[in-house]
Formats: sequence, C-alpha cells, structure tokens
Amino acid sequence: MTPARAILLTILVVSAVGAYWLLGKDNDETVFSSIEDANVGGRESQGSPPTREIDRTQHVEDGLAPEAPRPNLAQAEPRERPPAPVATSSEAGSVDETALRYFARQGDTKRLQAEIARLRALYPNWTPPADPLAAPTQADPRVDVLWTLYSQGKYAQLRSAIADRQTREPNWQPPKDLLDRLAVAEARERLVNASELKQYETVVTIAANSPALLTCSEVDTLWRVAEAFAMTSRPDRAKEAYLYILRNCDNPGERVATVQKAVPLLQRDAIDELLATERPGADGQGEFAKVRPDMVRRSVAAGVAEPPAPVPEADLKALEVLGQNSGLASDALLLGWYYLRHDDAANAQTWFAKARQVEDSAETSQGLALALIALQKPGEAENILYKWQDTSDELRNTYLAAVTNLLAVEPIAPIDPIILQRIVPVVAKAKDAAAAQQLGWYAHAFDQDQTAAKWFSAALQWKADDEPSAYGLAVVRMALGDKQGVAELQRQWASRSERIATIAEPQVKTAATAAARRKAVATVEGGKMVMPEETVQTETSPHNRRGAATQPNLQGCSKTDLYSPATGRVALSRGWCLMEIDRPMEAVAAFEAALQTNSEAVRRDAAWGQSLAYIRAGLANEAAVAAAKTPQSRERALDLEASILSLRATGFFEKKRYAETILALDQRARIAPERLDLMAMRGYAYLSLRRINEARQVFEALAAAGDPQGQRGLAAVRATIDPNPQD
Amino acid sequence: MRHVLACAFYCVMGIVFNPSVRAGAATPLIAAADWNAYKQKFLDPSGRIVDDGNGNISHSEGQGYGLLLAYLAENRSDFELIWSFTRTELLLRNDHLAVWKWDPAASPHVTDVNNAADGDILIAYALARAGKEWGEPDLVDSATEIVKAISANVVYQHEGRRLILPGASGFSAKDREDGPVINISYWIFEAFPVFAELDPQTGWDGIARDGLNLVALSLIGPKRLPPDWLSLKADSKPAKGFPPEFGYNALRVPLYLLRSGVTDPGLLDPFAEMNAAGAVDITDVETGEGRQALTDPGYRIITALAACATKGTPVPAALKSFAPTLYYPSTLHLLGLAYIAERQGGCR
Repeated sequence: MTPARAILLTILVVSAVGAYWLLGKDNDETVFSSIEDANVGGRESQGSPPTREIDRTQHVEDGLAPEAPRPNLAQAEPRERPPAPVATSSEAGSVDETALRYFARQGDTKRLQAEIARLRALYPNWTPPADPLAAPTQADPRVDVLWTLYSQGKYAQLRSAIADRQTREPNWQPPKDLLDRLAVAEARERLVNASELKQYETVVTIAANSPALLTCSEVDTLWRVAEAFAMTSRPDRAKEAYLYILRNCDNPGERVATVQKAVPLLQRDAIDELLATERPGADGQGEFAKVRPDMVRRSVAAGVAEPPAPVPEADLKALEVLGQNSGLASDALLLGWYYLRHDDAANAQTWFAKARQVEDSAETSQGLALALIALQKPGEAENILYKWQDTSDELRNTYLAAVTNLLAVEPIAPIDPIILQRIVPVVAKAKDAAAAQQLGWYAHAFDQDQTAAKWFSAALQWKADDEPSAYGLAVVRMALGDKQGVAELQRQWASRSERIATIAEPQVKTAATAAARRKAVATVEGGKMVMPEETVQTETSPHNRRGAATQPNLQGCSKTDLYSPATGRVALSRGWCLMEIDRPMEAVAAFEAALQTNSEAVRRDAAWGQSLAYIRAGLANEAAVAAAKTPQSRERALDLEASILSLRATGFFEKKRYAETILALDQRARIAPERLDLMAMRGYAYLSLRRINEARQVFEALAAAGDPQGQRGLAAVRATIDPNPQD
Repeated sequence: MRHVLACAFYCVMGIVFNPSVRAGAATPLIAAADWNAYKQKFLDPSGRIVDDGNGNISHSEGQGYGLLLAYLAENRSDFELIWSFTRTELLLRNDHLAVWKWDPAASPHVTDVNNAADGDILIAYALARAGKEWGEPDLVDSATEIVKAISANVVYQHEGRRLILPGASGFSAKDREDGPVINISYWIFEAFPVFAELDPQTGWDGIARDGLNLVALSLIGPKRLPPDWLSLKADSKPAKGFPPEFGYNALRVPLYLLRSGVTDPGLLDPFAEMNAAGAVDITDVETGEGRQALTDPGYRIITALAACATKGTPVPAALKSFAPTLYYPSTLHLLGLAYIAERQGGCR
C-alpha cells in the first residue's frame, strides 16, 4: 500500500503557453504514519524521498553540485517540517472536514487518505481527527447527497444538484471544499480527454490552472502533462515534470513507469538525468534495472531507422550482452539488422544466425539471407530462403536476389540440379527479368545455348527494355550461328546498344559478356548486394571469360570452405581465388582437390586451372601434365599448349639452349600467332646461333611493327657482323 | 437584387435596435412543462443532448441548443448539467473551440477533433446570455474565450466580405477547389450583437451585415431557396460534393432571421410561400423540385412564422403546443415557441 502524497506544484504561469515548474509545498509523511500501518513507517525510515528543502537547494544550484546519495541525505536531515507558506496557512479550526468525514462514513479509504493528504498539504498545521468515523454526523443530510454524487464521479449531476438547491434556497452556499474538489475533478476529466485527443496546449492550460492535479496522487495527470510538454517542443519542461515525480513520489511501479513513459519522449541525456534518481529496489538491484534493457533496445532500433540515429557504443555492447543472455530472438534480430544496416555483414550474419537458432521465422531467415548475400554466399542464402519465398512479396524479392547472385557467381560453377530445379519455377512465376537473364548466362556458360536463348527471351518479355538480356540473346544466337536472329536484334536495338551492333567481333564478345554479368547483379531493399568491381585482366587469354570476370577478393578465398555441400565447386572457387591473389602453388592444391570430384565439368575446369597455375609458377612440365589430366576443349587445349611452349622457350633461352628455344617457338608458332616478346627472343636465339640472316629478318619485322626491340636487335646484328663500326 | 441588399441594411438596423433579449421575465420564454418534456426525451443524465435521429450521438450544436433552451426555460440546474458535460467532453481543442461530435458507441467517444462553427456559436451565445442574466462571470468569461476563438479561427475574409467558415479547416479557398464554402444556416444572427459586446475588436456588427447579404446571395434557383452548402467561388452556387438541396440545415435560416428581429419580406418570402402547402419541402435548388415534404410541427412552425411575420397569416394553434418528436425538429419547435412567447403571442 502506498500513501498518497500531496506534494503540490505551484505552476507559475508566465505566458499563455509557458508554465514554470516550481516546487511549492512539501509533502509530509508523518501524517500518514498516524493512519497507515507500520509498514509505511518502516519503509520511510530506510529510503525517504527528499524534503522540499533539498529539492529547493537543487533548484537554486541548478544542478551544479552533484546530488549526494539519497540515504545519506535522508539520515543527515532531521525530519523537520518546513514552515507553512504564509499564503496558504490557515487556522486548523477553519479546515473543512466535510469530505473527510463523508468518505470515512462511506468506508472509502482510498478517497479518505487522499483527502487527508490534500488537507495536510493545504493546511500544514492541521491535524487529522484520530478517528474520522467518530466525528459528528453530517448536520445537513442533503449535503451527503452531493458528496455521494461526487464520490460516484457524477460531476455534471453534482453541478446540476448544486444549482438546483441554490435556485430553491438563494441563501444556501455549497461547501467550498466540495466546489474546489469538483473543479479539480472536472479539470482532471477534461485534461484526460484533451490528452487522449492530443490537444496538448489544452492539457498544459488546464494543468496550469489546476495545481491540485499535479501531485503524487495524480501521477497519471503528471505523465500526461509531461507528454504534452514533450509533444509541444518543450522537452525541458517535460523533463522537470518527470523529475518531479522521481524526486518526490514513492510508488515503485509508478516510478518505473515514469521512466518508461519518458524514454520515447526525451533525449538520451535527459533520460540519464531521470535514471540518476534511481533508488535501490526491494531485491537489492536498482529500481530501474528492468527499464534499461528497453532503453538499450530502443536506442539500437533508432540506429536502424531511416535516417539512422547514432547509437552509443555502450548501448550496442549492452544489447550484445542481452543478445547473448536474454534468449530473445528479437534482441539478436535487432543486432542483425543494425549490423547489416551499418555494412558489417559478418556481424550481421552472426546475430541473424543466433536469432534464427532461437526462432526459425521468415524475418530471421530473411535477415540471415541478406547478410549471406552481402558476404557473397548466395547459395546459402538461397537454401535458407527457399521455404519462406512464398510468404510475402518482400521475401520473394529477397529470394530472387539470392538466386540472381548465385547464378552470377564468378567463376561460374555448376549448381546442384535439385537447387536449379526449384529455382526455375519461382523465377518463372515471379516473371523476374534479372534472374531470368542470369539463368540465360548460366545456360550459355554450360553450352546450353537453346535454353539460354529461351531465358533471355523470357527476360525480354518481362522487361522489354532490358538491354543486357537482349545482348545475352545476341551472344547465344551468335553461338548458335543464327545470323538472321542476330541481325534482327541488331535492327531492334540499333540506336540503343553499341555492343549488340558490334557483336560480330569475337574478341569483344567474351569480355563484354562477363561485364554484362557483373552489371546484372541485383540489389534488394534492406540488404546490400554484391557488386563486383570492374577489373581488367591483362594476362589472360581473350577466350578466358572466367579470368575476365573474376575479381580480387582477398578475404573470400579462406571462407569458401564454409558453404555448400558441393565441395568440388568450392575448391574450384578457392583455386581461382588464389590465382587472383597470385598464390599459384596454393591454387594448384585447391585445383587438385577439385579434381577429386565426379563432376566432369568441375574436373575439366580444375585441370585447366591447375595447368594455368603451374604456368604461372613457371613449371612447364607440370603444367603439361595437369593439362593432360582431363580432355579440354580444342580452344583451351591450344591455349594451354601455347602457354606451355612459351614457358618452355623462355626456360631454354635462359639456359642458353638456343636451338631448343627455336624448336619450342616453332612448335608454338604452329598453333598461335607469335607474340612480339617471343619474336624478340627468337631473334636473339638466332643471333646467338649466328644465324644472322634469320635474326635480321626477325628484328626487321619487329622494327616494322614499331617495336623498339626491333631497332635494338638490328643494332645487335650489326655489332655481331662488324664489332668495329668506326672502321 | 438591389432591393434585397437595401433591405438587408434595414434589417441590420433591426438587429441593433430591436431589444430581443428580455431579462428577468416573470415567466420563462419556454414553459417549464415543455422543457421538461424535451429534456425527458433528449437530455441524458450525464448532461448530453441526444440526437435520437442520428444514432444517439451528441454534438456541439446539440449542446449549444440545450444550453440555449435551458436558459430560455430559466432552468439553471439543467443548464449547469449540460455545461459541465460540454466543457469536459467537447471543449478540448487547442484553439478553444469545441470538437463537434461525441459518439456513445465509439471509444474514445470523440474520434474527430474538428469543430462545427454553429455549435461553437450556439454554446458561446447561450453562455453569454445565461452568464449575464444570472450574474455568473465565469460563464461570461468562457463565452468570451470561445467568441475570440471563433473570430481567430473561422472568421474569414473573402472578396471584401467576412464569412464564417463551417469549420476551422477544410472549407477555405485554399482547402477546396470550389472554396470558400459556407453553410448559411451557421449564421445565428441573434448571437452577433452579444458577441460584439464580449469581443469589441472583431467587429461582429459588420459580420452580421455581411451575413445578411450572404443570405440574400444564397437565395438561388427558381424558388429562391438557399442550398445547405454554398460555394462562393466566383459565382455563388451549390458546393461540390453536397446535394444541391435546400435541406435540413438551411431550413433553419428563416428562424434565425426572425429571432434576430429580421422581418424583411425580401429574405423571408421564399419560406413564407412554402407555408401554404403545410409542409417544409426539401428542395433541389437548381430545379425547384421538391424531394421530401417535412410535416413535423418543429419544421412547419418555421415557415408558419415566416408567413405570419411577412403576411400576417396566423400561426395554426396546433403548432403552438409542444410535444417532443425527434431531437432536431423538437429543438427548432421550442425555439419557434420562444420567439412567439417573446412577442407575447405575436410573430413580429
């Protein structure tokens, strides 16, 4: 049970809209100790609210001096009653105890206590009757009728009844106490109604005119007034109202609720001021202990909002502790969204995964999938989202983003047929042009150009102005030898696409194809999609679309072993990745792992990759062995052989084995045009073998091609013929 | 048209010089029995006037009428009852005007914080008259606050005239394509001289004068009847989105004119002519076609009074006795009867 306090606030109205909170009169618990049971007195002795004097000091000093711990203050200050304000002091004899006696007779203890508190506040020298019930009966039973109406909350009827009696008895005056209380009750109703309708100016005006409403027994009114201040851009006034409650009112539930109500309305520093008034709770913890988590959640949630508010590091850490310990999916989820929003996909993945462990829902799955997409793990994202893709448009879109990214993975790798089979109907049903385009490129990569053509056509049907799909269609029609179809596309896109117009030039084709794939990677609201960098690959052959499409990803190589049961594909990706960061011998090992799988396509790519890795390492023989591990396409085989012969020629040349150098170069020249650097090597090899005429021819050809090596070589030829040109 | 405007000026003189308020009468202008019958049916014990023709809702207009009728019946007790409800449940807006609608079936009871200017005017007018007559300065203060709020929020300057918009938002030239839109039955002319006393700055006599001109302007169509909702953009014509009707709103216009002392036939004839048929016709103002004949004595007394004031046609005895029917016509009926009582049985 909590004693109602009657700490009155005097509102000094300084303008039509502004009211100042000043502490007026003191509460006095000693009144209650005579009425309340022993519990009240016991509680008071351990943690009393500050007296008015303390508060006034705080006011005067305006917070300059740090507030001393409450228990010390309470013990240091003798519980002296401050002198009664002159303006409201009154002889005890003139105190109207009508209401008090009425409530006592009615057995209405709540109102009785409130009335005693009110009278104590108004008349500090007044002592309540030891036994209100023993008091003389009401002299005028007709006044009892009025009090009955009052206690029933029938204020309009009470107004009516008073007017009625005044009409009949012009000299009769209603008890002033009754009129005062009626006015306060009506003001309270009006204030609550205005507050419900968000008529905040009205709320403040009513409060300013009814200081009796602003007491600890009217905490709800105080909350509403504080809200009205906050909602009308007066946060300092709002804070003072909340602080008033926290400094003066004792009801533990109301104190906690006060902070909770303030949290959405005030800035963080103001909330911290409120929290500083915390008292120890019954369990030994601070009374606001359970409020803090909500504050932290709110703070982090604000960091996810649009625009995001800055989140104090301490709040983030606190929520992480909660996320670890609370066992609530919502805490982990909130952290996931926070990190995703702030481009920390790795942390986002951790928290979404934790949330999903607690609760495998559409939202936790979506969050995790978005993080995985951001981490370039679209395969996992697809796998997680598949069962939720039908629950909402948003989830469908996220799923399609995962699919699009999965299909666009570079280097391209076969997707488990089971996965592919479930992707296709979703793309078809959603009529998603981006995913359809990627299915087109995917089919094209595996030489299923008829299928590819169908997907590109579908994409164009769903998105008529989709140039990348039109380009894809042109590419596969070229591959299919459908010259008429290509010409038709060129006509349709004549003014809109240069690359479709120039599609016949093969060396442009594959590099552009890769670029088209990169551009097609989708983005989706709520998560950041992968957007590979444009990278220029100078060392790879024009036929190597993988090389052209692969982007450096230094972090990516070590993570690939985390995902997907298709280990061969994983190892393959890892190998290409290691090649990108120029660690060819590690790449050799990765490709070796990929070679252990049963998939013919993976094995073929792995052998090719391993061969290239050996070439990169300068190991021609090993490269040749690797190239022979699986049959390669003629194009690749020739490409590899040319590379290996270049490597061999270089090796012989460095060992001054010039005849073998020429032999290797001749072998290479049968399958590939000779590069200028190799021509120079050939020239010097001839010269070293003193095959002067052949050397001169080579260097003259080089010089004719504008290569400075040509003139230098010719000078060397002249020097060999005539070591002393001056003569 | 010119004679109407000239007359309008004369009529305003009527407002100013005709002392329609009779203070300290020996018998109330509304008989105790009539008021008791009315309140039995329409006054809830909580202090709200119940519009039983409209889902038993209450509104600021009804509260204003209730206050005015209780005042005219000299029943302070009921006046206090209605006022307490009005103040705590409707007078909540930041601008000191009343929210217009209170629905017992809704939670919260108020779901629309808009005001209705006629409700605000009626409440302020009743408070002012009661406060002055009963020596209650608090009531006069409340009235003054509302009058100033009306002046600040719904009085609207348009093409040299001052209008009273139907509400604080939604009716001005800025708010509507065909704005400003007015409801001519919101000009409760008898209130304006009282407002002029409480709020001398606003110039309520000028607003009254402009209002009479607007009444003349609003008499349109073959039968020269005012539509409930009138657009004043360029030409005066029925407002878009409302039926082009002389309807339940506008039928009050002659009652307000008469009660304020205006007896000009130029303004009252169209209504007086309707009296012969023994019904008030809801009329399409554009075609002059009748839509519905209203025979409730509360409506009929209005046209009967117009005919009486302009042609000397006696008001039928049947209309002079009161029996409550529905809230709205019964309210108008009592106001009509109070008009007759004020003139000791006469009608001008």
